[in-house]
Amino acid sequence: MKDVVVIGGGPSGLAVASELRKKGYDVMLLERNDELGGLLQQCIHDGFGTILFGKSMSGPEFADIFISRARTEGVEIKLEAYVKSVKKKGDHFKITTVTPGGVEKLKSRSVVYAIGCREKNQFEIKIGGARPAGVYTAGTVQRLINLYGILPGKDVVILGGGDVGMIVARHLFLEEVNSILMVYPEDFFSGLPRNAQQCILDFDIPYRPRTIVRDILGDKKVKGVELVEVDEDWQPIKGTEERYNCDSVILSVGLIPYSEKLEDLGAKVDKNTSGPLVNEYFETTIDGVFSVGNLIQIFDYVDDAVKTSFIAAEGVERYLEKESEKNLGIELKPGDNVMTVTPQRVDEITGEKFSAFFRPDIEKENPKIEILSGDDVLERHVKRYVRHSMLEEISISKDILLGEEEVIIDVR
Amino acid sequence: MRLNSKVERILDEFPSDISYEVKDRVVFLEGKVKEYKDWVKIGSEIGDIDGVEGVVNDLECEGKELTDLEKVIDKSKGKENVRIGKYDIVIVGGGIVGCALARELSKYEIEVALVEKEPDVSLGQSRANNGMVHPGLAPSKDSLKRSLNIRGNEMYEDLCEELDVPFKRVGSLILITPRTMEEYKKYIPNPIYKFFLKFILPWIVKKKGELNGVKNIEILRGEEVYEEEKNVNQDVLAAVKIPSTGIVDPYQLTIALFENAEKNGVDFYFETKVADFVKRNRSVKRVLTDKGTLECKYVVNAAGLYSDVVAELAGAREFTIHPRKGVELLFNKRLNGWVDHCLAELKIPSHPTSKGGGINPTVHGNIIWGPTAEEIVDRKDTSVEREKIEQIMERYSSIIPDFPKEEFIRYFAGVRAATFTEDFVIRPAKWVKNFLHVAGIQSPGIASVPAIAEYSIEQLKDMGLKLKEDESFDGRRNSIDRAAEMDEEVLKQKIEEDSRWGNIVCTCEMVSEAEIIEAMERGADSFDAIKRRTRAGMGECQESYCLLRISEIISREMDIPLNKVRKEWRDSEFFDGFVRGEEL
Repeated sequence: MKDVVVIGGGPSGLAVASELRKKGYDVMLLERNDELGGLLQQCIHDGFGTILFGKSMSGPEFADIFISRARTEGVEIKLEAYVKSVKKKGDHFKITTVTPGGVEKLKSRSVVYAIGCREKNQFEIKIGGARPAGVYTAGTVQRLINLYGILPGKDVVILGGGDVGMIVARHLFLEEVNSILMVYPEDFFSGLPRNAQQCILDFDIPYRPRTIVRDILGDKKVKGVELVEVDEDWQPIKGTEERYNCDSVILSVGLIPYSEKLEDLGAKVDKNTSGPLVNEYFETTIDGVFSVGNLIQIFDYVDDAVKTSFIAAEGVERYLEKESEKNLGIELKPGDNVMTVTPQRVDEITGEKFSAFFRPDIEKENPKIEILSGDDVLERHVKRYVRHSMLEEISISKDILLGEEEVIIDVR
Repeated sequence: MRLNSKVERILDEFPSDISYEVKDRVVFLEGKVKEYKDWVKIGSEIGDIDGVEGVVNDLECEGKELTDLEKVIDKSKGKENVRIGKYDIVIVGGGIVGCALARELSKYEIEVALVEKEPDVSLGQSRANNGMVHPGLAPSKDSLKRSLNIRGNEMYEDLCEELDVPFKRVGSLILITPRTMEEYKKYIPNPIYKFFLKFILPWIVKKKGELNGVKNIEILRGEEVYEEEKNVNQDVLAAVKIPSTGIVDPYQLTIALFENAEKNGVDFYFETKVADFVKRNRSVKRVLTDKGTLECKYVVNAAGLYSDVVAELAGAREFTIHPRKGVELLFNKRLNGWVDHCLAELKIPSHPTSKGGGINPTVHGNIIWGPTAEEIVDRKDTSVEREKIEQIMERYSSIIPDFPKEEFIRYFAGVRAATFTEDFVIRPAKWVKNFLHVAGIQSPGIASVPAIAEYSIEQLKDMGLKLKEDESFDGRRNSIDRAAEMDEEVLKQKIEEDSRWGNIVCTCEMVSEAEIIEAMERGADSFDAIKRRTRAGMGECQESYCLLRISEIISREMDIPLNKVRKEWRDSEFFDGFVRGEEL
């Protein structure tokens, strides 16, 4: 019987596994790929580690820190491991894995899901038209260029102003493709401002805000797209359709937590984040099942994603030591100008403060962040500046929540 | 000439300059109409006339140039001097119909070839439909469709058992709701309307089915409906249950038919396009293709959407195909259990050319909504308009109002090869002696297929074909084993023998590397061909995880660079060249 099985060998999974191993637990980490590091292995650009390590590293460099940490701590690692099923059996979990070595059943006292997220595809955003070769998600293209040394096409349209899309645009520019056009429905790039500056504006890569790909054209291979301008509600404006020739379309239209497997196990999912509902230790609605990293919600910085692993490690320890006392059950909800809040519930009295992440739906200087119970302000936080959909973190004192049932976070 | 006067009466309604000719009950139209809508309407109305056996619609209209036959036909491509084979029968078209007939013919001691312009079987309408094995309730009493549907449906268990293809007789429910006769509602007092819908109409539907030869039809009312189908709308008044309705994976079945036909000696020529026929004494002697010439004694036209083009080449044009597009919406497997039967809401008057679609389960556990029915100009057009997605969601949500309809994972469209007479056209060509049409196969084509093959052989016999059973025929075929469906002990064993069974490359559908390799050994050489045989890439993430992984396997196994891996066709390579032109 293992103490913990961690599913997913990206930075968050590695971090939580190392922490728990350091605490003396018997930890096994399962990774479906043949190498550790997750998505970071394909992120050869820099910018990772600024928060945690105070320096800007490439993805593989950042991943390496956690890979060696896991190895040094002695985490038992299984690569090429597909998790077929996880089932709760009384006070423990039965995990069935399939690897090139065989089918194995593991028993573990707790499980941490660190399976991250996936990219939204053309169907989820209802792109119309044909379905030829030449439509890829930005992550696939990043992998294609960086790990295989192959370009997706020569005339590229990128839909979506997210970070991966911008980083891929810059890379394609540097590899001298014929043409790049970025289009997105917002009025400015939705990714980090630093990426907009360093990836797009600095290179004069053409972009069109308030524009989407309505249709994909071409029977066998992409021949072009039908672009259309959209209004503030992202609805197409008639008469603004334009045919634009290209040989590939790259989608950077958002990431979505891989919470299906958790749902199969019976965990509840938050409609706003698409990730599991978690408490302040990132424990899901199933006792002994935790989640970390981008599975909880999409983090803008890997540094923040990894922070959840340290918090979850504490939670797992409390669970294994039977120290957790879940007697609060206070719900945390997004209020005015807030899109998402995690954790969605506070369970335990212990600990003075806990980290809460929220995604504002507003751009504002010196906004007030209020923790409300009904109309009563329980606590007020200040931020210098918040941007639309840029994730923010605050530290909330537990004592102010005592006696409440439901608490709301507002940004004004 | 009563037929002529009926045709004239229809043409009189259109102010356009149209001339017509009737030859052996086939009506030829020439002239000009304004809109495509009229082009379809005239053809359909004439096709409806009793006694008309085909409509060849050569009317011109705006926007239709694309499909002009001259554009599709290029006789100069035929390579007459390269003889590639000599056969008793050449089948044109590798859809489910062509493949089923090929397999049926492989039971006899004759030489059979099948030519297909695409690189794989099942690339036309056979792959893009909801896989419903209809019970035979809808076709009109005297149609060929009706008899072949009833017979074909009955043959499904045996066929799918032999070919190791999943088939489920899930049954269907035709739901009668307050919306069923909405158009007439205002003329009828409400209690009578409801009474009629609840007690009379189900009985009429049942009677119609029984007259058609459909067995074991039941009428369900009140709680009985929810016992069968727990999630349907609470306002359902009655339901007609037809137990014989089934579901099948249409391309898996086509692939199975192909594999088994090939095993029993049928030669398949892929990426081979018929360019012309050489005839002597009103008989086809040679089929000219862009790969070479096939000598033949009989030709079967099973060319689906292009069956009128192939007919024209042979001088046997007796009908025109008017393509009708159907869009389908496919939902996540996780919703398995929301729907147990094929569900349709009865609407009267019904759509003139489609039974109206509905909500069906699939054999793989997905749920599928659709299809729509839309007359289109370009038979290649399988695009999906954004608005159609919304329309489908709107149209069928009254069947199950609470259905989580945002959880669709893909949409697609298929094009039905409809003729203006709307019935199956399975008969010897009128003006060519050894040429059999097996055309106009649209819904309920899947259900009818086993019977179509049987019936076609009867036709060939009538045309003089002599058949002697081949004792070496082996109708058994095994599908590719699936890790996802394997018992853990069996999988363990498999991995011990071959570790590739333990390398799961598609995590949504749990497909192993071994399955990919097996599909390739069976002839798949593109991503989509592998996908159809293994289901890799058909899950929730829609290839975003496995695209590169599987492409890598294809590249390795075929010994081609990654950027030469094809999605499907020769000119559909996924990726461009190497970064800076240098191979890593």
